[in-house]
Amino acid sequence: MKALKYLLASSLISVFLVVSFGLNSVSAKEAIPPGGSHDGVDVPQPIEFPHNIHVEDNGINCMYCHTYARRSKVAGIPPTSKCMGCHKIIATDKPRIQKLTEYWTKGESPRWKKVHDLPDFVHFTHERHIKRFVFDQDYPVEDVKEICAFCHGQLKEMTVANKVKPLNMGWCVSCHEANGGPGDCWKCHK
Amino acid sequence: MSGPVKRRDFLKIMGATGVGGTLAGCDLPSTVTLEEGKEDVVSYFMPEEYVIPGVGVWFASTCMQCTAGCGVHGRIREGRVLKIEGNPDSPVNKGKTCQMGQAGLQGHYNPDRIKEPMMREGGKLSAVTWEKAMGVLKEKTASAGNKVAWFSGTVSGHQSALISNYLDSVGASKNHYTHEIVNSAVWQAVNRDMLGDSMPKLDIENAALVLSFGADFLGTWMSPVHFAGKWAKFRSVSSGPGRGTLIQVESKMSLTGGNADLWVAVRPGSEGAFALGLANYILMSSPEAGNSLSGELKTHIASFDMDTVSKLTGTSQDYIKRVGDALINRSPSLVLAGASVEGHEHGYDAVAAVMLLNVMLGNIGKTIQPSSPSPFQQLEARQGGTRDLVEFSKAATAKEFDVVFFSGANPVFTAPESLGLTKALENTGFKVAISTFPDDTTMQADLVLPLASYIEDWGTHVPAYQGDGNVLSIQQPLMEKLYSGTKGLGDLLLELLKDKNPGQYGAYKDYYAYLQDAIKTMQGSSSVKGREANNKNFWNSTLQAGVINIEGGNKKFALNNVDIKVPVSASDSDYPYYLVPSPRMGLFDGRHANLPWLQESPDQIAKIAWKSWVEIHPSTAKKLGVERGDIIELSSEHGSIEAEVYTMKSIHPDAIAVPLGQGHEEYGRFAKGLGVNPLKILTAKTDRKTGELAMYATRIKAKATGRSEFVRMRGNKTQGGRKFVRTINVDLLKRTEGA
Amino acid sequence: MSLSNILNNWSHYRRGAEEGGHHTYEHRWAMAINLDMCIGCNACSTACYSENNLAVVGREKFDKGQAMHWLRLERYWDEDSAEKEFPDSGAKFLPMMCQQCGSATCEPVCPVAATYHTPDGLNAQVYNRCIGSRYCSNNCPFRVRYFNFYSYYETSWPEPLNLQLNPDITVRDKGVMEKCTFCVQRIRTAQDTAKMADRNIIDGEFTTACAQACPTSAIVFGDTMDADSQVTRLWKKHQVVRHTTKQDKRNPELRGYRIFEELNVDPSIMYLERVRDTEV
Repeated sequence: MKALKYLLASSLISVFLVVSFGLNSVSAKEAIPPGGSHDGVDVPQPIEFPHNIHVEDNGINCMYCHTYARRSKVAGIPPTSKCMGCHKIIATDKPRIQKLTEYWTKGESPRWKKVHDLPDFVHFTHERHIKRFVFDQDYPVEDVKEICAFCHGQLKEMTVANKVKPLNMGWCVSCHEANGGPGDCWKCHK
Repeated sequence: MSGPVKRRDFLKIMGATGVGGTLAGCDLPSTVTLEEGKEDVVSYFMPEEYVIPGVGVWFASTCMQCTAGCGVHGRIREGRVLKIEGNPDSPVNKGKTCQMGQAGLQGHYNPDRIKEPMMREGGKLSAVTWEKAMGVLKEKTASAGNKVAWFSGTVSGHQSALISNYLDSVGASKNHYTHEIVNSAVWQAVNRDMLGDSMPKLDIENAALVLSFGADFLGTWMSPVHFAGKWAKFRSVSSGPGRGTLIQVESKMSLTGGNADLWVAVRPGSEGAFALGLANYILMSSPEAGNSLSGELKTHIASFDMDTVSKLTGTSQDYIKRVGDALINRSPSLVLAGASVEGHEHGYDAVAAVMLLNVMLGNIGKTIQPSSPSPFQQLEARQGGTRDLVEFSKAATAKEFDVVFFSGANPVFTAPESLGLTKALENTGFKVAISTFPDDTTMQADLVLPLASYIEDWGTHVPAYQGDGNVLSIQQPLMEKLYSGTKGLGDLLLELLKDKNPGQYGAYKDYYAYLQDAIKTMQGSSSVKGREANNKNFWNSTLQAGVINIEGGNKKFALNNVDIKVPVSASDSDYPYYLVPSPRMGLFDGRHANLPWLQESPDQIAKIAWKSWVEIHPSTAKKLGVERGDIIELSSEHGSIEAEVYTMKSIHPDAIAVPLGQGHEEYGRFAKGLGVNPLKILTAKTDRKTGELAMYATRIKAKATGRSEFVRMRGNKTQGGRKFVRTINVDLLKRTEGA
Repeated sequence: MSLSNILNNWSHYRRGAEEGGHHTYEHRWAMAINLDMCIGCNACSTACYSENNLAVVGREKFDKGQAMHWLRLERYWDEDSAEKEFPDSGAKFLPMMCQQCGSATCEPVCPVAATYHTPDGLNAQVYNRCIGSRYCSNNCPFRVRYFNFYSYYETSWPEPLNLQLNPDITVRDKGVMEKCTFCVQRIRTAQDTAKMADRNIIDGEFTTACAQACPTSAIVFGDTMDADSQVTRLWKKHQVVRHTTKQDKRNPELRGYRIFEELNVDPSIMYLERVRDTEV
């Protein structure tokens, strides 16, 4: 929290704008994806999880594993039992799967590192965003990865996740403005 | 936020890494922000379907912060319990909690908990394994034969039954001592003798007038949250007999006294005389009120004329008349007696004099109703008092025990020095403390067995006071154990019993299995409400509700005349003042002194926190030549204590109050070395009929030490005419909101 | 963005209550506290500590008046207590927390707009925006703003006490002002839940931690824009209205009043007068 305190205080001006926009809640139907980019650092994970194989090669829906995204504020890392649901049988000869199986046998979950981290004082909820951009739009759920990509980038092209969007306040606000999201400070600050 | 869920198995959710591992990443407030890869996220291992990260789930359990037995819900997120709220299904507290219940979390997460067994070796407690601890314990109990005792606080439910069974199995059935400093033992004894029912139901909400002699029913008396719920109805202008009026007679203003319409200060120990004075006043205007009284008693009452009573109580005749007129004119009324009436050598007589008013005013059967006996007698609460403390001290002094178990009580803190308990404990062969915290008693034990917090443990509890229907309240873990080295009380008892009686207990894997079996047995009883004999889901639905409602039997009062002798003259003494060791909701009897929220929560009347103080009337302060902030020395025949003066008018000039709760010599970082413990200098006199400690009868001297604390002027005594709290007369209320 | 733009917006958001208030409101969260029911037991205050990650400051700082109790229980004696020997009508208890004023005096003095008025009628305190000037607390007539003079998170929750911290609300750092939020995290959760189900919030589906705990149910919380809510009914029953410095009641004997409303702060908490039976 310390680090961000002054950073955000300097973006005072944009907030006033947002408040006024927020009030006239734009009823845009089409989602306007946020712009911006971020040059994320490589975050080594206990297992080099290949998103690309799961998403691109096998066409697995994001919400198959990150099942909490539409039901909670957090999308959640899938429980180890979920991984093992497939990997008791699939690709058991691969070193990464063997490492996973090791965790499973020990009765432990891997200690993943958080890549998309928001400050402590931010109230962000996945479920509301998924509802707004997927379910309320009648957006095809099978293509949900394109919506996830708004903030998380194209995971189909990554192994372990890499942060490619800034996830800072100005960036959030620009998207809220474009898509008629709430503009009140206390909707997101806690 | 969803309701309580049926199934639960935290171990499976968390995997072997346990709570610590999961917590590291899951939404625990931290100061790390935005940087990639700085925080851990440990996923669930194999969660139940209802577990969703970021969504709180509520489970039902029972609060153990005092003996009232309120039902609670705990909010669990990511394997941590975050918030406690009342269980609306419990007839005790109906969804509400007091501050002590809220602070239960800080006991559970307390940094000073005992994490592993400890044994005294070479005069010092050092860590041992459970195997070693239990091995030594079994050895010691085997050689002790029937010289085993169990010293506990109030216990009920299946744990209580198991303690009894254990003592039975070693032939020491009579050696269960139950001790609570804050209790209503004498009141119950009077009720038993006078009404044939020790715990009658008090119908506060339907009384037009409550006259309470020191019964702090909104703060510390029996079941405060329950009574507060009743109070709301009592004060409501549109229900029952309209807004009820409270008169509180006591020597130091309690929380309940702070809410009185008329608060009358009396000299400590003179409440019995005040009550008989009222009886006399009533008999003068309506002699028929005394029809059921014996001639002898009437003669005794007649000696309490206005002059005598005013002199004895140190109260003006005007107050006595006002209270008497209120009793005569307002019906139905309810007259109660609390700890400050009980705690004298004639405590029983004084309480009987108070309860006699109920008989004379026809309140019996109206605002005082018979209790409803439970069909499960072995589960009923074994309530603690102070007689057991006195008896135990005697027995221990006579070296009657080779092994003593301590659980849920801290006698080293609560026993007055004059009882000689410290010395007696030195004479006790092997002291076993089953405890969550390193409290004063635990640190003197020879063997310390670390107890799981009540939030991690299984159990059943029967409230001692059953107001709105009998209930068995279920205690279930609200989260996985923080420390794997701790054990539940039931599990420990079962282990002890397996050793003595493998035939009966050997089959149970743990206390959870035992309880499941026991609850299933209860399902067979037609007294259990809402049960279906063949409902396989009974266990789950019981856990979900948190309570089992029990159909109690019918009981009728059996009125008896009780011999009452209240002394007509006050005794003179070299010690001019009475010491009032006043408990309050919050630190209670000192058991909550290790909870920072409650330390920081100021005394409701004095608005002081984190320390001890001496409450005296300004006139007394003037006499002693002290002012607020001066350090004053109070000495009884058995020692002295020092604390700073706080002058308040909410106390009788002959009384000096020192709040209970501080003065721990052990008990962790938040409690140790803070303030003084007034219990230490009590004179160990007892009530002549019940043998309970006369806690409010100690006479003391007071003397300025010449030292003082720097007083920061904070807050105002009055509103300075600004009317933040506006007060109107009840007539106005009746006019605007009355039915 | 020019400075003049900020100033224009500023005056727009500083419209007084008599001009219709600051916002087109979505909700107006409010309370009714019955002082004849309040027994002064502190349950609400401790519930608030538990819900809102309030720091425990310890003996020394408590004595200096630096306790962080967002909801404190005040105790007053009768005005004539100096002449009397005993306070024979008991004590006067007052649960005092942020009154979420409609035209709050704390808001215009904040140099960085860290405290402002939300469209649901709350005085927001945006912690990471706050620079700790403390102007707001000096300007608050109720004295209900609390300043983090120290980094309490370093000392207030020694492990594992920190495991109790509520993840729905942040832990405040040194140099930040804080105060009662009407449990905004509960409001937001309820709003999210309602929106997920495409419905409006139902009165009573959630409440603040203090109101939930109160053993006598003296505190009633709700939305005064919901015409059927319990709190609206109570305000109506006692003929207390917003946007005024003096209540003009048809029946002036009714108990409802707002503290310091004469200062034109438009508090969102209505208190009901304490009652005493002076006949006895």
